[in-house]
Amino acid sequence: MLLNGVVLAVNYALIALGITLIFSIMNILNFAHGQMFMIGGFVVYYSYGLFRLNYFASLVAVVAVLGVIGWCFETFFFRRMRKMATREENAMLLAVGTALLLENLALSFFGEKQRGVPPVVSGVFKIGDAFLPAGRLLVMVLALILIVGLLLFVQYTKLGRALRALAQDREVTYLMGVNVDRVAALGFALGAALAGLAGGLLMTVFGINSGVGTVYSIKAFIMIMIGGAGIVPGAILGAVVLGFAEAIGYALLPGSVTYLLIFVGLIVFLLFRPQGLMGKPWG
Amino acid sequence: MPILEIQGITKRYGGLTAVNNVSFSVEKGEIVAVIGPNGAGKSTLFKLISSFVPPTSGKVVYNGQTITGLPPHEVARRGVVRTFQETTTFREMTVLQNVIVAHHLRCSASGLGIYFASPKARADEVTFRDRAAKILDYLGLGGVKRLQARNLPHGHLRALGIAIALATEPKLLLLDEPFAGMNIEETDVAVEMVRGIRDRGVTVVLVEHDMSAVMRISDKIIVLNFGLKIAEGAPAEIQRNDAVIEAYLGRPDDELGH
Amino acid sequence: MDQVTDGGGQSTAGEAGGAVTRWQIISFAGLVLLLFVGVPVIFGKLPYFITVLTNAAVLSFISLGVWITFSIGRMNLAQGAFALVGGYVTAVLATRYGISFWVCLPLSGLVSAGLGALIGWPMLRLKGVYFAMTTLSLTEAIRLLALNGGDITKGATGIVSVPPPGAIRILGLTVVPPFSSANPMPYYFLASAILALGLIAVWRLSTSRLGWVFRSLRQNEDLATSIGINVARYRVTAFSLCCFMAGIGGAFFVAFQQNIYPSTYTIADSVNFLLYCFLGGLDYLFGPVVGAFLLVISFELLHAVQDYQALIYGVLMIFCMLCLPNGILSLRLRRLGERQHSKT
Repeated sequence: MLLNGVVLAVNYALIALGITLIFSIMNILNFAHGQMFMIGGFVVYYSYGLFRLNYFASLVAVVAVLGVIGWCFETFFFRRMRKMATREENAMLLAVGTALLLENLALSFFGEKQRGVPPVVSGVFKIGDAFLPAGRLLVMVLALILIVGLLLFVQYTKLGRALRALAQDREVTYLMGVNVDRVAALGFALGAALAGLAGGLLMTVFGINSGVGTVYSIKAFIMIMIGGAGIVPGAILGAVVLGFAEAIGYALLPGSVTYLLIFVGLIVFLLFRPQGLMGKPWG
Repeated sequence: MPILEIQGITKRYGGLTAVNNVSFSVEKGEIVAVIGPNGAGKSTLFKLISSFVPPTSGKVVYNGQTITGLPPHEVARRGVVRTFQETTTFREMTVLQNVIVAHHLRCSASGLGIYFASPKARADEVTFRDRAAKILDYLGLGGVKRLQARNLPHGHLRALGIAIALATEPKLLLLDEPFAGMNIEETDVAVEMVRGIRDRGVTVVLVEHDMSAVMRISDKIIVLNFGLKIAEGAPAEIQRNDAVIEAYLGRPDDELGH
Repeated sequence: MDQVTDGGGQSTAGEAGGAVTRWQIISFAGLVLLLFVGVPVIFGKLPYFITVLTNAAVLSFISLGVWITFSIGRMNLAQGAFALVGGYVTAVLATRYGISFWVCLPLSGLVSAGLGALIGWPMLRLKGVYFAMTTLSLTEAIRLLALNGGDITKGATGIVSVPPPGAIRILGLTVVPPFSSANPMPYYFLASAILALGLIAVWRLSTSRLGWVFRSLRQNEDLATSIGINVARYRVTAFSLCCFMAGIGGAFFVAFQQNIYPSTYTIADSVNFLLYCFLGGLDYLFGPVVGAFLLVISFELLHAVQDYQALIYGVLMIFCMLCLPNGILSLRLRRLGERQHSKT
């Protein structure tokens, strides 16, 4: 149970980091994040499941596909919207629209069936009294590597620094001579790729269908609401809380009751701490 | 009886004490300025008086009644109205609409009456429109009243902020840096404007950086530094006060307007 | 020039509280004529179209509620939740206690509004994306509540065979004949009446001082507070009005479809209500109506392409958003503006 919590938490952290990245850079809540997760899953399904590509090569394909989608979203949709819209809500509504677009695309191309792939690795590890299938362990380790890699990337590379600068202050970053449009597009692409990678990893455990997008979007929202929107440690903390809450809940209660309780808990929590656990007070 | 008494008010944010045990009083019809270097706690003091933030301890007494702990709209209803440091307006309304909306407290019609456009509500709106036009003319905004607020030049925006506050018919007006970013001529106009407001019977408390304007306009000056009140008195006394000069060390001359 | 707002659309409506633009009167009269005379004459013999238009009418009514929350500057993704609440109130009261639909209808609205006030009071302190995310969660939470509602909501099986609305008799006179599931026409007229009344009500609201107060909240809550507006009370008022409309709409659809399930309103529906407003134009009272009718009808027309219905619909919508980011009705404003420009 707790091991499942760890597996979930690590993968959820990947999702939460992706949406946090996009939120902090663009100040856009990526409603399509769950749909990107779902598309990542489908890319793995087709490349690894059907075309028998190496699993790791499939994950590279996921990065490529989602990266392009994210880049296009920013370049063709959001940039244009920022220039033309008279009300600030419009960008958020466009994000909602993109979620619907991706979902409809997936329904049309992938159908409604639940899809799964053969396990990447087989075997079971015994840790104490608990059993951990090797597949889950692999997924967990990969996600951990990705998270650490991402944090190092953002902290120490030139592009990473540009991303952080952009999150701090758009104007100043522009004045510093950074190509803001390009960095924003890359940031969006990176966020989308993270969502897709999480999808590509988790789908080996749970499978995937065209309808899961909304579910994962909601999970992403819950995590950033717990941790505080736009804050990296907050995103990770939110993922840990949600991962364990789910793992414990599912072990003890019927599935839908778990989520009902999570929602009720979340709404009550937000009333007392609207900025999340690690967010700064606002407004 | 003073119109406003601040009694030992303190505000802490975490470990930081923004306002530390400050007390002073304001007589009816006075213009009182609160000055101090950046980060001295002037803005926080303002939010405390207008009840936008609750104090950690101490209280604000207005006309003999404690207003600390009341919601800010209730404090406004009683006649203590603040303006904002930034050029805060209803950006997507015209200048005239801004001031008409600001007459909210003067509505005599009930909610349902307003909804169904009762005769009272209609009469209200006609009155508000006339009065808004008068206020705007008085503040020199008569010519731009049909412009959207977001298209107004900076100086006009500040005047609009004051117009919005005046529409509520305040007894005590709290002006947050009314002269910031103005050149000498604009400041002269604004100083006259503030005097005019006082002459209409409104007590004025203002927070300001522009020392020369403050020296000219104030009946009394309160000086804050690091959240503490370090001096209080008439402009002439403040100019001679050693603690004040020290607080502004480095630039005593131009800051104090000698 | 666009700096001066006189002579175009919403922005001039009722400076003195109550004045109404000519455009609004013309479009409203046109809409009523179309709904009550045009449509029955043209489509009277085509029950399928009547059903589609009935759907569109009530969906635009529900979206009109979302429009109100937009006017106070909140993006409300909980409208599906409150429609579900309204629907269940009617379904439970009608099937368990045999209460007439005509009593259930306003009651559903009131229950939704009450619940909205209760939840909205604390929740409306959140702004922007936080409010959007929380309301989204609420939609899902209410669905799960219905799913686990035990004997009251009957879980996933839902409540089926809800009786259609009965006749209304006043002093022995039949004012409204009983409805039957075989004939969509009475439902259509009821839907049109709901929409027309809703439009009048919201129209009054947005042109009165209350509308201006709502708009002032959207533009700056602190400033609104400083001029003595009880911000919390007005936001809750707006939100419960919105929930009321959702409840009424939910109750109508229960009577129309004679059933309700937890999945009758999902997040997708909450999102759609939002998008209707957006596509029509957030700045226009008729925005949600235009958006809802256009999207509902075009979705039905795309039935012809079967497999790609959803796909084309999605692409069209994004295309629409990108070309007209301020809504379809912004087209009209632009044209008017040009005409005025050429005159001067």
